[in-house]
Parts: sequence; C-alpha cells; structure tokens
Amino acid sequence: MTYYLTTLGVYAGVDIIACLALNLQFGVSGIVNFSFIVFQAAGAYTAAVLALPPDSQNGGFQHYVFGAQLPFPIPWIAAAVVGGVLSVPVGLVVLRHLRVDYQAIAMLVLSVIANLVITNARPFLNGAAGLSLVPQPLSDRFNAYSPTYLWAYVAVTFVCCALVFFVSQRIVKSPYGRTLRAMREHELAVTALGKNPVVLKMTIFVVGGVIAGLSGAILVGFITIWAPSTWLYPETLILFAAVIVGGRGNNWGALFGAALVPVGFEEATRYLPQFGPPGLVPALQWVAIGLLIIGFLWFRPKGVLPEKPGRFAAATPVVGARLTKEPGVS
Amino acid sequence: MSPSALEPTAGSAPATGTGLGVAPQPMMTVRNVERHFEGMRAVDGVSIDILPGRITGLIGPNGAGKSTLLAVLAGTLPASGGTVTFDGTDITEWPAWRRARHGMIRTFQLPSEFAELTVLENLLVAAPNHRGESLRGALLGRRYWIADERREVARARELLARFSLSAKESEYAGSLSGGQKRLIEIMRALMLQPRLLLLDEPMSGVHPSIIGEIARYLEGLRDGGLTILIVEHELHMIERLCNPVIVMAQGKVIGQGSMIELRRQREIVDAYLVG
Repeated sequence: MTYYLTTLGVYAGVDIIACLALNLQFGVSGIVNFSFIVFQAAGAYTAAVLALPPDSQNGGFQHYVFGAQLPFPIPWIAAAVVGGVLSVPVGLVVLRHLRVDYQAIAMLVLSVIANLVITNARPFLNGAAGLSLVPQPLSDRFNAYSPTYLWAYVAVTFVCCALVFFVSQRIVKSPYGRTLRAMREHELAVTALGKNPVVLKMTIFVVGGVIAGLSGAILVGFITIWAPSTWLYPETLILFAAVIVGGRGNNWGALFGAALVPVGFEEATRYLPQFGPPGLVPALQWVAIGLLIIGFLWFRPKGVLPEKPGRFAAATPVVGARLTKEPGVS
Repeated sequence: MSPSALEPTAGSAPATGTGLGVAPQPMMTVRNVERHFEGMRAVDGVSIDILPGRITGLIGPNGAGKSTLLAVLAGTLPASGGTVTFDGTDITEWPAWRRARHGMIRTFQLPSEFAELTVLENLLVAAPNHRGESLRGALLGRRYWIADERREVARARELLARFSLSAKESEYAGSLSGGQKRLIEIMRALMLQPRLLLLDEPMSGVHPSIIGEIARYLEGLRDGGLTILIVEHELHMIERLCNPVIVMAQGKVIGQGSMIELRRQREIVDAYLVG
C-alpha cells in the first residue's frame, strides 16, 4: 500500500509540474506544444544516463551513452538544463515563422519522429527496451525501498512542485505574463505594439522545456526505468486535457487538472471491470479522455477554474491625485 | 497647391503641396513601394509623403491596396520593392515591432482587442520599457517592477478618463461594442506615445453615434501634434479630418490633395468619389 500511495504521489507531483509547464506554454502563451512529452523524456533520459554507471559495468544487457554515475542532484539539474537547451533549436525552427496550427502539426510530428529515432537507435539509449536499473537519488546512502525513503521522495517531489508553482505564479502575475496572454489573444497586435513575438515565445518555451526536463528526472528517479513506450505522443494529449479541464491560463487550474485527469481520471478508470476483447477497456480510457476534452471545449471552454483577469486597486476620483492603494496586478 | 499634387504619382517623387502653404519636412517618405502576391500587384510603385502634425487620408475603392500599403508601412507585411523612410531613417527592412518601438503604431481593419484581457490590461500591454515585461523582471518579483506598474496604471487611467471609458476598465475587452473596441485600439497606441499613428478603417463597423466621437478624439490628437495616416471609407469623415487626402486605385496612387480639390478631378470622381 505504501508503494502504491507513494507512486501515486510522485506521479501526481510530476503531472502537476508538467501541467504547470504546459500551462505556461499553451494556457498562457498559446503555444500548442504537442511535443511536450519529448522534453520530459529528454530530461528523464539525461538524468538516467548521468546517474547510471557506464554500460560496460552491467553485463552489457543495455547500451547507452555517458553512464557518468554522477551524484544527486547533478542528474536532475542537468535534466532541466537539457530540457531548456533542447527547446532552443525546436523553438527557433517551429515558433518563428509558422502559423499556430502549423506549429501544432510540426510539434506533433516532432514527437512521433523523436520517439521513432530513440526506439530504433539502440546504441544511443537502448532503443525500444529503454533504460532500466536507473539508480534512485542518494540510494548509495539510504535504503531506496524503505517506506521512509519513498515518502521522502514524495516530499521532495512536492517541494519541486511548490517551487515550479511559485515560479509559474510570478510569471503569470507579472506584466510579462500579461504580455504573453495578449500574444495568445492577438499576436499581430502585440507585434504592432513593439513587442518581439519571437523573443516572447522563445523565452516561455525554454522555461517550459526546463520544467518539463525536471519533471522527467523526478519520474525516472522514482520508477527507475524509461523507455520509448512511456513517452508516446498521446501522453501529451492527457496533459493538454488536464490543462483544458482545469482552466487554461490559471496555475491553480493546471494544478487541479493534473490531479483530476492524469491522476484521478486515469486511476479511476483503471478499476473498470474488464469486458470485451483484450485492449478494449484501455482503448475506452482514451475515448473517455477525448470526450472529456471535447466536452469541456464545447460546454466550458475556460475550464473548471478559469483564468482570472488582473486586479488593480481602485482609482482615485481625481486624475493625477495620489492613489489610495498601490495599483498592480494581484 | 502645386498642380502636380493632382497628378498620379506612381513611380515618381510625389508632390507635397497640400494647399496649406509651405510644406514641412515629411515625417515619412515612401518611394516606389510595391507589394506583390504571387504576381498580383496589390501595391504598385506607390510614392507618398506623410507630413507631420496632420491627418493624411488614404481612400480608394475596395481592393485598391490601401490596407496593404498601410501594412507595408507598419512592417506587418514586407515590401516587395521600394523604400520607406521614417524621420530620415530607412526602415524598409525593419520588422513591425521595431518600427513600433520607433514611434510608428498601427491599428487593424478588424478589431484587434485582447479579448480575454480587461480594458485596463489591454492598455497596460502597450506600456513601453516596463521593468516587469521581461522574464528576468517577472522572476525578480513584484518589488522590482511595481513602480513602473504604478506609473503605467496611472497613465492608462488618464487615457480611459480622456476617452470616457473609465467605467469599463475592469470589463473584458471582448465584451465591448465595436466602437469601444476601436477606442481601445487607439488608446493602446497612445500608451506608446507614438509619433505616427496608422489607422486602418477605425470607423468601420462602428455605430454612427460613435463615429463622430472618434472623429473628435482624432482631431484632438492632431491638434496635440500627432501625425496620423488613416484609411477610411467614411468620406464625410475624411473630408472633416484629413488634409491631404491620397486616392488609390488598383495599387497605384491616382491623386492627392484636399477633398475639395480631388472632387474637381474627373478621373478620381470616376474611380471612386461617385456622387
């Protein structure tokens, strides 16, 4: 039971972090990043190969590059950095000249291609079999299978959640976040007001990439395996469903959506009685997630917790007089 | 008024006479500007001058190339040929955001409000040089940018008061009427303290009662020294506001001058000023 609950806790934390990142990119800025899972995967692979020993030391049952066996937290930091660095070429290719709908298509194609490449390039990251026996953080000092360690891992995950939430709130509640929201509404009008849309999109895309990379590192450190089958493009759609259901543009909505869709909804449907041919129930899970997205877009497009407008202190009746309270977004 | 001002100027240096005596140095000079769409010449060798402190009208039938020319001048569409000079600087290759930072702000033919932002937020987006508008500023937190925010909120509220929209500041811009959205666009542009305002059909889709109001605001801005180029179909408003007026047809400039002078020209009346 402890393992189930802690696994659920870590997955919840990772999904919350991922949804907060996707909310910054898609919810706030309007970047339809259908390749989000690639950045999470890049972080996971980075953390894995930096924590693993050289592949020659494990009997040669898996092949991968680096195998640097670096101590915690270096693999996690490197994962975040790689998530951000990978965002730069992707963003420069996709976000500069393409229209939003073509951006979405390009991202989706990138996600499929990346998965296929990693699956088939076995010497790089062990192909379809993926990486296993990834050392848990500080497992050389603590018993990684003890309940204390598992709960501590959940706690660390939620500390990371809190940190990402804090950063996301700072962004969303700032004039920078306001400009990103304006860009989402009408990019050309923002450009005509002297804002460089490429800079705006690239910065938030890289921030999202950093957070996605971190989320991958946290997950692989707990489940100790990572393979192409864990980061297929539909995983991104689940995160999109969470942001849409929760309330795009609202960090609280992303948090709520992460708890509701990837965690609550998927866990609840896991216990459905099996019926019909094999694979029918898991397929129906996807149908249900699709219906959830369509239903919300149709009936409640702003989600359960809609984005809130900036609030400002009331103006004094006399123009030019001193304001009664400090104005500012809150 | 120079007689040449009434002649077509496509492909040649334009006349700057407007019937207002000695013309000042133009704020913007446009020479042989072209814009092609797969062989179709939407703007075909246009040369005009925009004089400072005046409202210049740009009229012509549908498909004349007015909005395309305005987009080329603002940088939202790249020119296929020719040069655009603003305050003596060649800005032909500049992207739109750089031109805007240089003081040249445009509005759009269709309402371009940020629908899910409030009216006040719409204006604040335009605030230039705000410390909180970069990722760094955002991460440094409220204390880092609150002074700028205070200043810009005060400026935005002054503008809202001037345009009689203070009561709407907390409403979503998308919920406003067509005319109010137009005013938001103009106010947003004014937040940047522009030197040249490019307005693309600011009266289109606006209730007649608000058209007069917009015209009054534009007159006030002109009297305050702002230079405006306006594309518009409401000819009585063009007549009231603009001098000079430039007439385009089929991508070319076919004449310019005051509306009274233009009405005397047969070819222009035939092309556009029917009735």
